[in-house]
Amino acid sequence: MTDAALGFRTGSRAAITRLADIGIGPGTLRAVLLPTLFAAGILGLWEFLVWFFDYPRVILPAPSLVWTALIDQFDLIWFHTVPTMRDSIAGFFVAVVLGVGCAAAISINRYVRDSLYPLLVTIQLVPKVAWTPLFIVWAGIGWESRLSIATFIGFFPILIAMVTGLQSTDKSLVRLCKALTASSWQTFWMVRLPASVPYFFSGCKIAITLAVIGVIVGEFISSSEGLGFLILLGASNYETDLILASITVLCLMGLAFYGLVQAAEYLTQRRMSR
Amino acid sequence: MALLEMVPTEESGAPQGASEDYLSVEGVRKVYNPGTRRAVEAVAPTTCTIKSGEFVSLLGPSGCGKSTLLMMAGGLEPITEGAITVGGKAMTGPRQDVGIMFQDPTLLPWKSAIENVLFPYRVFNRPMDEARVRAEALLDQVGLNGFYDHKPGQLSGGMRQRVAICRALIYDADLLLMDEPFSALDAITRDEMNTVLVQMWESYHKTALFVTHSIREAVFLSDRVLVMSSRPGRIIEDITIPFPRPRTMEIGETVEFNEICGYLRSRIEHQGLPGVSGH
Repeated sequence: MTDAALGFRTGSRAAITRLADIGIGPGTLRAVLLPTLFAAGILGLWEFLVWFFDYPRVILPAPSLVWTALIDQFDLIWFHTVPTMRDSIAGFFVAVVLGVGCAAAISINRYVRDSLYPLLVTIQLVPKVAWTPLFIVWAGIGWESRLSIATFIGFFPILIAMVTGLQSTDKSLVRLCKALTASSWQTFWMVRLPASVPYFFSGCKIAITLAVIGVIVGEFISSSEGLGFLILLGASNYETDLILASITVLCLMGLAFYGLVQAAEYLTQRRMSR
Repeated sequence: MALLEMVPTEESGAPQGASEDYLSVEGVRKVYNPGTRRAVEAVAPTTCTIKSGEFVSLLGPSGCGKSTLLMMAGGLEPITEGAITVGGKAMTGPRQDVGIMFQDPTLLPWKSAIENVLFPYRVFNRPMDEARVRAEALLDQVGLNGFYDHKPGQLSGGMRQRVAICRALIYDADLLLMDEPFSALDAITRDEMNTVLVQMWESYHKTALFVTHSIREAVFLSDRVLVMSSRPGRIIEDITIPFPRPRTMEIGETVEFNEICGYLRSRIEHQGLPGVSGH
């Protein structure tokens, strides 16, 4: 009996060692395993309660039914995922270009900063979703309006983060540039911009999340494609399982976007610090 | 030796002859917030000169305005009154023939040691090929061979300041201004850095102005020591340090060295009152 217990122990310890070799320690196990188990538990409970109380599927379908809807109607869902993904990514990238550009102009030129920045901060205080119908009036019900909404919403976090980053550059580094007779353009390009990379990525993480929200809101208001449209369609037909399946795909899309930004940040930081 | 051949000294366009004044400070005064109620006189009207090829230390208590004087000489602080001339031209702003070393190494944290040394070349848009060889030679000379590609975060405080020395020397500035560059280091590292600096400087023969509040550091490094009084700063003593070069740390144990240090200490303690010190 002692032998068996010992054998079990050494066995499990060996397994843990092997996991540790590939970079998965007890901490990682806890960080990955616990939330996964918890989510699985919730889904199981949900499945059980719906079955036990025989809940109407229109109000709350069981997870298994959502899964079935996802598989059965995958072609339809994917058809509507592509435009949402496309508009979010495009809007995000336009927001990055405009946000970084505006932040650069604001940090390089004092007059631009004094005239533009207070105005932008004021607009930022208004809930930006409220502007959405205006963009549809201006840009129509095609992808152009959704892209503009995503850009508009994603622009501000990037701008604010970049202005903060560019202005909080180490004063002694700026003085070094001055002593070396660097132009303000050189100081910007060689010192201020690389120093604000961490701020840039924290702005991007907010912007990519908001860009998806912008596109979905645009699709809700007026559209004939996209996951937002599909969710509304599902609601009008009482296809709750389709709604939940679309939301699942939307979740995965958001996670993937966030993960991509995170990966870009990781790669950039590794390049800069090694 | 190889480095000595590569680095032009007398022929580099620096003024010839040791008798010429390379840096001259004429009646320079600094007032912060002039004309307001918060006006503070940091430097009282000051006149001094440094000859070409001389290493001069500016010694004084904290807050006496010695760093302010140095920053004015580097063109980084506006001069309230008077004029500073470097190499025959009045200082009105930073110049490429004047190098400055700050109290902190101020390295770019995302660039390797060698890239930091090359940073002035990038700013000046000078050709990089010969500069890289030069940067490697400089890093070797301060004992950082094998650390070319390390980022500042992977280097110790003393190593970072060595990188900063190389960065200040690489672009052949004729005048090197140093603002307490070793004051943030521990005593042992500081001695080490002083030895490194003496060796580097002796092989370059540039003109140098070194600000410090350490008496021993000033005496060890310099040809001349100027003592500044406390705020508003003025120069109250100008003594020549007689030790021949090349110098090593051992001169710090001689009687003469310690006598000079003792004299300077008494001048700082009785600052501004020449009759009282008894010398």
